[in-house]
Amino acid sequence: MADTIKLSVNGVEVEVQAGKNLVDAVAAVGIEIPHICYHPALGADGNCRMCLVEIEDGRPPLVPACKTRAVEGMKVRLDSEKIKKIQRDIMEFELINHPIDCPICDQAGECILQDYYMKYDGAQSRMRVPQVVKGKKIDFGAGVVHDQERCVLCARCVRFTRLITKTGELGIVNRTDQARVNIFPGRPLSNRYSLNVVDLCPVGAMTSSDFRFKQRAWFLTKSKGICHGCSKGCNIFIDHNREKYQDDIIYRYRPRHNEQVNGYFICDAGRMTYKQENEKRLRTPLASGQQADLESAINALKRRLDQAANPFFVVSPNCSLEQMHAIQQLAAQKKATVSGFSEGYIQEGDGDDWLIQDDKAANRAAFAVLGIDETKEVFNSALKGADLVVNFGNDLSLSGVNNTSLGTAEMAFIGSYANSCADAAAYLVPVASYSEDSGSIINVDGVLQRYETAVKKNVPFPNMLSVIRQLGGGLDDVQAARTSLGNTVEAFKKLDLQNIPAQGLALTASEVGNVTA
Amino acid sequence: MSIDIKTVERKGGTPQERVYLVEVFKGMAVTFGHFIRNFLDNSKLYVRHYPEVEPEITARWRGRHRLTRHEDGTVKCVACFMCQTNCPAKCIMIEAGERNDGRTEKLPVRFDIDLLECIYCGFCVEACPMDAIRMDTGIYALTGTERDSFVIGLNELLQSESPFTDEEYKKGSK
Repeated sequence: MADTIKLSVNGVEVEVQAGKNLVDAVAAVGIEIPHICYHPALGADGNCRMCLVEIEDGRPPLVPACKTRAVEGMKVRLDSEKIKKIQRDIMEFELINHPIDCPICDQAGECILQDYYMKYDGAQSRMRVPQVVKGKKIDFGAGVVHDQERCVLCARCVRFTRLITKTGELGIVNRTDQARVNIFPGRPLSNRYSLNVVDLCPVGAMTSSDFRFKQRAWFLTKSKGICHGCSKGCNIFIDHNREKYQDDIIYRYRPRHNEQVNGYFICDAGRMTYKQENEKRLRTPLASGQQADLESAINALKRRLDQAANPFFVVSPNCSLEQMHAIQQLAAQKKATVSGFSEGYIQEGDGDDWLIQDDKAANRAAFAVLGIDETKEVFNSALKGADLVVNFGNDLSLSGVNNTSLGTAEMAFIGSYANSCADAAAYLVPVASYSEDSGSIINVDGVLQRYETAVKKNVPFPNMLSVIRQLGGGLDDVQAARTSLGNTVEAFKKLDLQNIPAQGLALTASEVGNVTA
Repeated sequence: MSIDIKTVERKGGTPQERVYLVEVFKGMAVTFGHFIRNFLDNSKLYVRHYPEVEPEITARWRGRHRLTRHEDGTVKCVACFMCQTNCPAKCIMIEAGERNDGRTEKLPVRFDIDLLECIYCGFCVEACPMDAIRMDTGIYALTGTERDSFVIGLNELLQSESPFTDEEYKKGSK
């Protein structure tokens, strides 16, 4: 624990972390200092003046809280008439040319101007002159739509492109009421993290063309999740909603702060993987190539598996630890080889030095921990002798294995997403995807994270663990799988898998590198 | 705060009332009195000859909904979902889309009201910031043979006209 200091806010003494600015320091103990331009990832800019606080006996007596370091013995006042008047005046200033088109603004419901107006302002407009008309619905590229009238010129987006992505596509041109955020002519937003400016924007000036007008923010259920777009495992909010007479579907992903993994941001590609969860899903179970209901498809596969002389299990690197463990147990029981061959998930050179990784699979690190082989040699030799290939969600076509190279072996597919492997399968069991299931994964940096069920479909897909149990596996649910993992896998013996902390658990190098096979 | 207790005197205790039949005949005399009087002249009956004679409806009476238009014929609704948010019966289903008629940016591409679920409370009308939804069509009788026929869409809601003028509507009665 870092050092703490004592300071007083509104006459009440609080103990806060040392070395932070006032906004962050007192926010940690539940006191809000209103701020518009300050964002912890972008640093203090001090242009909005909303966070001005009074320091008793201080020189100067009024300071912006975002630029002031919390020090021992400081006497901060937020409730004086002077501060309240400053907050009211700044809100009035921000709202002079604001169109107040909240009914058609996507930000309504999660807008800083709405919240602060209700908390700190509440006054009628005194403006008697026509408002300044600015540009609306300007395409900034990369799926960002800008509305200059709603903009409060906090420059969060500008600072994001300058400080974080270092691409600098955005800037503020002109001054006073002519100031606008804009791109350079013919140079749209083109970095791979562009859509973060939509989340950063405290008002509705930046909207995502993908999410635009799809849902109002207050209808969405905001569940925590982990992005499975690549091996980084960024923390996300899964915003989903069940409309009347419809199914529960996902409308957007938003980044969720986790200093250990992704900070405050996620990449655009990962953000768009929610579409895969809604579309591209397997829905119809198959038994011996015939459409069947779920129960009979699983039973038919169980019979086929019992008859198989040489079953071969292929695991997807997107399976959770619990699923992989259950598959391994089932394989030991059926004397099947397990392979995690999935080199096609790695797109060499696609990653960068920040969030995007080459490896587009979420849980490849678990292969090493659990001792699942992923070499092509083992895969090919096992495939030759196999008469039944049970594929647990691995899209082999990515790795250059087409359906003819499977030879005479029959194919069973237990997965969530449609792909050519699933098309060729004689037995098909659609299962819940990661947004509808719970589990834990290890990311590329060896951080063990868990995710819980977010989306609940009207007719839920069975989760993979229950399908494996029906096929003869011995694990009842995620808890049982975690207990079993803790008992059998060397790396997890000292860890409490049932209670992985919310920010994830960084495994030590020896734990990740512990190959038991 | 004290509670006032009012003791009600129990009636029906006199010998005449206890015989019971006398009271029955007195009651029947009232009934037959009404029957014969109205049988001979029904002009004073407090009964409406529905459906031949339709009830008189005032502008503030909440009938089936309609969506209003601007003077130039464009849809007033901006798909802000306020009515859907406010609806206690959750009977309004809206889908929003881009608007290109120069008014604002947003318009409903789907606006369904499930009239079987609607409780005609008028909260949608009160929530609307655009005065785009009103319940002044005066339509109170809805019939259909299928459930689906009670889900009315954008076109139907826009086609309905109000029998009242704007002034009458604002005044609240005819």
